[in-house]
Amino acid sequence: MAIHSLTVKQIISRVRQSFPDAPEVYIMSLVNDAINEIGEYSQKSQSAKISIAADQMFYNIGDSATDSSSEKMGINKIYRVDVMDNADDYIQIPRVLDGEPLMFDMTSESTGIKDPGD
Amino acid sequence: MASNFKYPEDQLLYFIRGDHLGLITTYSSAGETRTSRKAFQAVDHAVTNGLLIHYYGNPKKVTSITDTPDIDNLFHSAIVDYVKKCLYMDRAGVSPDPNTAQVSMGLMAQHERRFDNAIKKYGVRKRSKTGGTRAIVPANFT
Repeated sequence: MAIHSLTVKQIISRVRQSFPDAPEVYIMSLVNDAINEIGEYSQKSQSAKISIAADQMFYNIGDSATDSSSEKMGINKIYRVDVMDNADDYIQIPRVLDGEPLMFDMTSESTGIKDPGD
Repeated sequence: MASNFKYPEDQLLYFIRGDHLGLITTYSSAGETRTSRKAFQAVDHAVTNGLLIHYYGNPKKVTSITDTPDIDNLFHSAIVDYVKKCLYMDRAGVSPDPNTAQVSMGLMAQHERRFDNAIKKYGVRKRSKTGGTRAIVPANFT
């Protein structure tokens, strides 16, 4: 069964019905803006694996964060975290609701925490 | 590097601070005794692929005209509305003719409304894939 979807070329062609002179690069840039905006509402569920480093408390989940395969993750919202147990199975772990631990690890701070927006 | 955690659900917790995920544990590989004040610390051993995170992610951007947008096909036509909305807004802004500007503003508003309806108003209904007969599986207390 074929599913109807549009390629960028078809989108450009539809736009050019009204704007024949619109530059292709500009339309593509607007298409990416639209995809970003739709991404806020159309929730694309994904998962990724990250290696745990010894004595590191913080893991980057910003725009530039990558998974174990060096693929950019592009995280909007995390809804579940699992950790591998000693039988190599992934088990869901709970989230702390009221913030952070009393003791803060300075080594982790320097290796994990980076500039905001990183 | 393998994991030493037998019961991760009891030994580990996570929290989010801005663009960082904090991972803390009460477990010590060396069997260290911790006071309650310092009970939660960073994991003390490395685990390859130890974290599996599930998240809502950004769609990939398009880079070529042969690409298909990385979103549900139900929203593809809304992209056309978004692009036209922007182009009509541009036209309204640069047109020296007030009539053309006025018409462009009207069409801009129309495409904006169509985009908002498709994504914001009815988006949830369109993307929900939940359906079928419901069944309740009671807990087994035996």
